[in-house]
Amino acid sequence: MKSKLLLPEGSRVLLLGNEAIARGAIEAGIGVASAYPGTPSTEVLEALAEVAKDIGIYVEWSVNEKVAYEVAYGAAMCGVRALVAMKHVGLNVAADPLMSSGYTGVNGGFVIVSAEDPSMWSSQNEQDNRYYGLHAFIPVFEAYNPGEAKDIIRELFDFSEKVKQPVIFRSTTRLAHCRGPVIYGPMRSPSTKGMFEKDPKRWTLIPAHARLRRIELLKRWEKIKHEVNNWPYNKFIDNDSRYTIVAVGMSYGFVIDALSQLNLNGKVNILKLSSSVPIPVELTRKALEKSDKVLVIEELEPIVEMQVKSLVHDLGLSIKVHGKDLVPQHYELTLRRVIEAIVKFMELKRTIGSTKEVKVKINIPPRPPTFCPGCPHRASFYELKRAVKTIKANVVYSGDIGCYSLAILPPYNMQDILIEMGGSIGVANGISHVSNQVVIATIGDSTFYHTGIPPLINAIYNNAPMLIVVLDNRITAMTGHQPHPGTGIRATGETAPIISVEAIAKSIGVEYVKTLDPYNVKESINTLTDALRYVIERKKPALVVMRRTCALIISSMARRRGIEKPLYRVEVSKCKACKTCYEAFGCPAISPRDDGKAQIDPILCAGCGVCAQVCPFNAIVIEKEPTPEWNRLGF
Amino acid sequence: MPLDKTINIIVSGVGGQGLITLGNVLGTAAILKGIKAFISEVHGLAQRGGSVIVHIRIGNPNSPLVPENGADVILALEVLEALRAINIYANLNTLIIINKRLIRPAIPELKLLPLEEYISHIKKLGLRVIEVSALDLASKAGNILSENMVMIGALMASGVLNGLLELVDIEKAIREVMPKKWIDVNIRALRMGFEEVVKLRH
Repeated sequence: MKSKLLLPEGSRVLLLGNEAIARGAIEAGIGVASAYPGTPSTEVLEALAEVAKDIGIYVEWSVNEKVAYEVAYGAAMCGVRALVAMKHVGLNVAADPLMSSGYTGVNGGFVIVSAEDPSMWSSQNEQDNRYYGLHAFIPVFEAYNPGEAKDIIRELFDFSEKVKQPVIFRSTTRLAHCRGPVIYGPMRSPSTKGMFEKDPKRWTLIPAHARLRRIELLKRWEKIKHEVNNWPYNKFIDNDSRYTIVAVGMSYGFVIDALSQLNLNGKVNILKLSSSVPIPVELTRKALEKSDKVLVIEELEPIVEMQVKSLVHDLGLSIKVHGKDLVPQHYELTLRRVIEAIVKFMELKRTIGSTKEVKVKINIPPRPPTFCPGCPHRASFYELKRAVKTIKANVVYSGDIGCYSLAILPPYNMQDILIEMGGSIGVANGISHVSNQVVIATIGDSTFYHTGIPPLINAIYNNAPMLIVVLDNRITAMTGHQPHPGTGIRATGETAPIISVEAIAKSIGVEYVKTLDPYNVKESINTLTDALRYVIERKKPALVVMRRTCALIISSMARRRGIEKPLYRVEVSKCKACKTCYEAFGCPAISPRDDGKAQIDPILCAGCGVCAQVCPFNAIVIEKEPTPEWNRLGF
Repeated sequence: MPLDKTINIIVSGVGGQGLITLGNVLGTAAILKGIKAFISEVHGLAQRGGSVIVHIRIGNPNSPLVPENGADVILALEVLEALRAINIYANLNTLIIINKRLIRPAIPELKLLPLEEYISHIKKLGLRVIEVSALDLASKAGNILSENMVMIGALMASGVLNGLLELVDIEKAIREVMPKKWIDVNIRALRMGFEEVVKLRH
């Protein structure tokens, strides 16, 4: 079946915001796309990877965002249209080439998709990357729904080529993960081949050249400021009012819905802005000159508000500009937040929250996310905890970003620190030099390749004793199963060399390197205990790889191939209600009966059999043996 | 067809119950019929067995999220998630369609009430409640993973989408969205959910 992304011009299709971004790039004729997965950006590259072979473009999952940025940037240097996608915090990793790319500019259109996460649904912060636009002199554009996102992405490649500068498209969770109607335009045939034309004064940023580029950069910025006045996705809707609402990006949709709920349609001016850095000065001036009062509605930081206030000052106008005094600076926009801001701005006498609330008067237990049934990480953390208990060590768990971050929750409580990608090993270096506690860095396979290797080299070079546990489930799991350098497969499905974690560690000089299967409980506990003793006694780093394919992959492979899973059950007469399986081990497929004895839900059970090894009374027995086909699943 | 009214649906449940597919099927049904729809989801961390909410707006929406206390329907695939969604999105006119299923949150030493007690708390609120045993029906249809389609069937039988979408539109969307080998079982589950609720009304 041909992908819905390649349907012909004129098709009207329901697309996820991220798929719409991919379609926009296809319509623009991109030749190269690269990314590192991260919510809410991941589906942009997934969608492009799916059609890459059909349309003959190059698409890759890169090892991290910095490299992904450089891949797309390199292609754009050669005149090929390129897109790079990442989550907002990924742009921190890529900030170094980002700043330099502002200085050099580009030849081929270069679009950076920065997918941000107001309300922090899946992130460690809610930074607003429009600041990077101001910082790097790279213009920033936004859209208010998937349909507009598709059109804007298509046009951004032209814009980027016209001003010879990279551009940032700022998306947020509610655009990236919103499905909406998208009307397809024509597809330009992709240009996949380019040529690097040597020009040292432009591409080699030694101080003498960089000084010249700095002047060029400021000139280019003036041109960009001029060009955004012609950006067709900005518009001023003049309703002959003294009030103007500046609706930036996503907030435009909320503003339309809010005004119609407040019966204010056509009664207030709207300045719809898609180019938020820099704002279109001419259009904004036109709006300001018609208004006594302005309200800027934007998600997170007051980026447009600051620019509008500065413009009001420069123009010598006396207009009151509202923004973050009425619209909260934290978390995502909701219709209620926008209505409340407009009510205050317009000084309406509407009682807020007049719809009747309904409240349930009982305690609703929270439902934090958890390791899936059969998750190898659950077994790994259980075994690690047992090993630590065995040697009675005072340990610090230095955690990292991925599914295994969920070990932060009870019954594990085994992520004492969680900062950023690759931070587990980096921070462990510092702790090991000042504390007598034993530092255990837990890091996933994809995160290890991403930014785990330099701090490991550092640990050997500067001798920082620590136990590094690489939780290798053979995939980038949290973001929805993307391949990485350890999987032997590329974004577009070709086989690739498997880059071995153990070989990397050994080549760096880690002397203690072991590999375990977390489904073998006893062996894992023993080896982890041994590794901890090694770290304590020899005062050197040790690395243990705990390798087992993600249980979600196994169950979906089994479903697709019609392979039945093995099943376990509790032998009630042997169960002593000790709670080990459903509390200390904490598998969600096991729950207590009224008498405290365990029961296994056959629907949820993934058939991993770890509970049977964990049970001190051998009360968990196999109900249905694994078939040979089942045993061959995984990679 | 131009429509002024937007139907606001909150789908709530537990990560892994197929809520995103449910939203995709409803949204696709709307698009195929030329009706505007926005479906908002949360991916990533939110999906690992935690609470999941999908916002579905069909008709003439401009923004992606169902307003607080603004749901016309709460379609809950699990009872605790029904309660959680009611507190944020329900008003006195909200229809609650609830799957009679209690999934234990993975919290040590958590004491839960029996399923029926949670449902009776919902009924005490004075809201219209439709109860569906979606897991049983899905299992009868041939795959427990089609619980989500049973729930769409129940939604279609409730009449909330009358004039916008019909059962055949959903079937069309299932054919469009699902892998070939799962189409039949999902359509069967959809119809079983539909008939179950039609039966309740008579």
